[in-house]
Amino acid sequence: MARFDDSRPEMTLEEFRLLRDHVYSHCGILVHEDMKFVMERRLWPRLEALGVSDFGAYHRFLRHDPNRHAELEAAVESLTTHETYFFREPSQLKAFREELVPVLERRNARSRRLRLWSAGCSSGEEAYTLAMLLRDERRFEGWDVEVYGTDISRRVLAMARRAEYGPSALRATSADLLERFFVPAANNRVRVRDDVRAMVSFGHHNLLDEAGSQLVTKMDAVFCRNVMIYFDQSARRRVLRILRDRLVPGGYLLLGHSENLLNLGADFELVHLRGDLVYRRPELPALLRSEER
Amino acid sequence: MTTLPEFPAEEEVRYRALQNLDPQGAGVLDVLIAGLHDESWRVRHAAAEGLQRLPRPGEVAARLVSVLGERGETGARNAAAEALAGLGGAALPPLVALLGHADPDQRKFAADILGQLSLRAAEPALVQALADPDLNVRVSVAEALGHVGGHHAAHALQRLLGDPEPLLRLAALEGLTLLRTPPPLSELLPLLEDSRLRRSALRLLGLVPQVAATERICRSLASPSRSVREAALSALGTQAALESMRRAEVESVARAALRQLPDAAARLAEALEADDVSVRAGALLAVAALGEVSLVVPVAEAAREDRLLREVLATLGSLGAEGGRVLLVSMEVLSLPARAAAAEALVDLVDASSVTALCALLEWAEDDLRSVVVRALGRTRSPDAARPLVDLLGEPRLAGAASRALSALADSCRAVVLELLEEAVLSRASPEAVMALGRVGGAPALPMLRGLARDADPAWRAAAVEVASEVDIAVGREVARAALADEAVAVRVAGVRVTGRLGGPEAGALLRSALQDEDVTVRRVAVEAVGVSGARDRAAEVERLVLHPDGGLAVAAVRALSRLGRASPRVLREAAGHPDAEVVKAALLAGAQSPEGVALASSLLSHPHWDVRAAAARVVGDSGGPESLVLARQALEAESDALARRALVDAVARLSRR
Ligand SMILES: C[S@@+](CC[C@H](N)C(=O)[O-])C[C@H]1O[C@@H](n2cnc3c(N)ncnc32)[C@H](O)[C@@H]1O
Repeated sequence: MARFDDSRPEMTLEEFRLLRDHVYSHCGILVHEDMKFVMERRLWPRLEALGVSDFGAYHRFLRHDPNRHAELEAAVESLTTHETYFFREPSQLKAFREELVPVLERRNARSRRLRLWSAGCSSGEEAYTLAMLLRDERRFEGWDVEVYGTDISRRVLAMARRAEYGPSALRATSADLLERFFVPAANNRVRVRDDVRAMVSFGHHNLLDEAGSQLVTKMDAVFCRNVMIYFDQSARRRVLRILRDRLVPGGYLLLGHSENLLNLGADFELVHLRGDLVYRRPELPALLRSEER
Repeated sequence: MTTLPEFPAEEEVRYRALQNLDPQGAGVLDVLIAGLHDESWRVRHAAAEGLQRLPRPGEVAARLVSVLGERGETGARNAAAEALAGLGGAALPPLVALLGHADPDQRKFAADILGQLSLRAAEPALVQALADPDLNVRVSVAEALGHVGGHHAAHALQRLLGDPEPLLRLAALEGLTLLRTPPPLSELLPLLEDSRLRRSALRLLGLVPQVAATERICRSLASPSRSVREAALSALGTQAALESMRRAEVESVARAALRQLPDAAARLAEALEADDVSVRAGALLAVAALGEVSLVVPVAEAAREDRLLREVLATLGSLGAEGGRVLLVSMEVLSLPARAAAAEALVDLVDASSVTALCALLEWAEDDLRSVVVRALGRTRSPDAARPLVDLLGEPRLAGAASRALSALADSCRAVVLELLEEAVLSRASPEAVMALGRVGGAPALPMLRGLARDADPAWRAAAVEVASEVDIAVGREVARAALADEAVAVRVAGVRVTGRLGGPEAGALLRSALQDEDVTVRRVAVEAVGVSGARDRAAEVERLVLHPDGGLAVAAVRALSRLGRASPRVLREAAGHPDAEVVKAALLAGAQSPEGVALASSLLSHPHWDVRAAAARVVGDSGGPESLVLARQALEAESDALARRALVDAVARLSRR
């Protein structure tokens, strides 16, 4: 495409592979080969900001420079897909609300405490959506309820905390929900209402970081939707082990619709709901299976 | 013994039992084969997975093939097929043998699984199986050939295009599309007349790099059938992306066709929402051809699919200033990825009328988007853009971009930019203002730069040192020399870099203490500076760093020595043994032309890192003599990495010509 900035360096296939592998080992995201163009476009601003002349030099920067960790974060920021919106995958949300929420209410009736995790929350829409769902449920009045949203990208976390959204984030939000949970903000945008915001907190977390995950409290349910689609099988396994560990026994894991967990071993059991298929951390060490694998 | 004579009643327990079987255990093969027959699909799947983990895959494959023959056991047969497809090469011999089975059902199974295996080694057997008496088997074989590939496969599929049986012609079309090997136009065009084959034929036509093909594809854009129109769009997108095809040519043929259609814009809007990415890609091209500004928002939204970014940028770019205006006022309704793509495109579309809207965008847009907006502002050629850009110099994350944008803007309105920059420096807005001022202001800015090189704030000193040398060499030398003794790392780094860039007979002496600096960044920049300045008198110190455990320092040392012409055989050898692959590659590059370098490269053709092997192959290919050919061939035999193989294939080709 000669039109755009001819002066910028092209990425060779080898540079692509080196950069891709580097990114992969950091965060599990496996950039497919037909995405070389996208990677090149998204990293150009990084090269420019560092005054680095080509992608080989950029790779060496990521390997050797004292600022390499910050730069790797910046690279991952630019490479990740943050596409998300409120009330995404409504049938799953409905199943969660109608079939799992009552279970959670019963199970936690004594502690009156509920914790949900939106793992890979992007700009916060999913975390706020969950808070809105719970808010809508009278049954948790007086409970200690919190939704925790985490992402590897600090930039989207800043957006999540600001809680201001435009029309594309609201493309699946009904007028009624809009009315109830949002207030108008500048520039044709809206802001999530304070009472919902008060239920949600955000944090920076790499899903592959086992040590970092210890900071996450035990969860009743984890939503990790449309995140692992960018991972390969082995990264998925690692993440699932970590997510399992962060769930209370009997806690639920909800994945995006296109995500198929079948090959992921016995860490989770499958739960057939009327409206969806979800995963559960087994309640007790199951027969024939040692707890530590 | 690992036996489960009877499956416990509960599915979950059976499932877990299979998951936890020890693949080395005795009798495990029987247990898993029994699991293939379980009533629950989950358990069957777990068994299929388990079978793929067993030792002796040849034996497993033979057992699985026998399960394929169990009539009435549909679930078990499908699970066996799944397991076979996951076994890789070991499954090949029994499946090839199965192609000769008396039962056509079995032969069809064999062909289907061979297709899933996609191993080139199955090509001859499959080509032969095209003579199977059973039509269903032949169709499966044709489909499999599309996955397996190879010259003979393509040839055989092409012949099938003339088969009287439409199912076979269809399979052949699909297979040839997968293999990206279209037949001659004359053979393809008649197939478009058959409505059952039209869509597949169109998609294959997309791979024909001829204008006549474009014209035929475009005729189908008018089809009353949506699926045919979509196939045509997909073909158009494929064609425009072909290397031997000029996009402009495809666009112009498409334009002529689309202008005939009264509802083209509406149809393209619909196609931009299609499920199939290739249809959307074609629709993007068509929007560009038609110059349909009204579709600018859905075009930008197509960037929600990463793979379409290239097309989206090209199409937005082709919509010109008018498209840019519409895009700019639509930014707030776009999704995040669409907005990012739109901003990129805007950089090329803005003009003086865009400044207000761009500034409004700066108010609310996300940070990385803002840096693109900053770039766009620099290209508006409007004096009104200068003030907002200068203001941004105070924002650390955008200062660099703003400074570059101001340099660009100064091409068209230098006086305004300069005045504002001076003001910014005087009001101490940010050190970035100093860089911009130096670049835009030239010699008249020197007195100010000199003063700033003595500023109390190290960031300002560093900026002044960096830029002074770009304005005036003598002044640059002087401030750089002082900077070398500065107490702040940033200033020393600037001084070292400038000293290297300016070079001269004194450079080596000046860089001596920097090479021993307490700060590793200063040391590394100093090593680079030695190379850049050609300071051969520092070569001995740099040589010692080749073995330094800090890979960054060692790479810098090898590169510097190479620039100095001092990459001796010993240096190369030492660097080649460095644990950091980047150092090894630097050594290969440094030695590329010399006989020692070629010898080194030959010895590195079996290095554990693929990128080192690829780099070594390039050196051997570039500079090796005929004697290297044998080595390169041997390495090629053993090479399993695709990119290293590519480099070796290229080296072998070049060496054979020598
Ligand atoms: C496509 S968004 C999905 C957002 C939301 N869950 C939804 O379904 O709408 C994927 C998010 O995962 C984040 N992500 C990717 N890799 C990650 C990792 N290793 N750790 C944490 N977050 C990650 C990305 O930054 C991105 O914001």
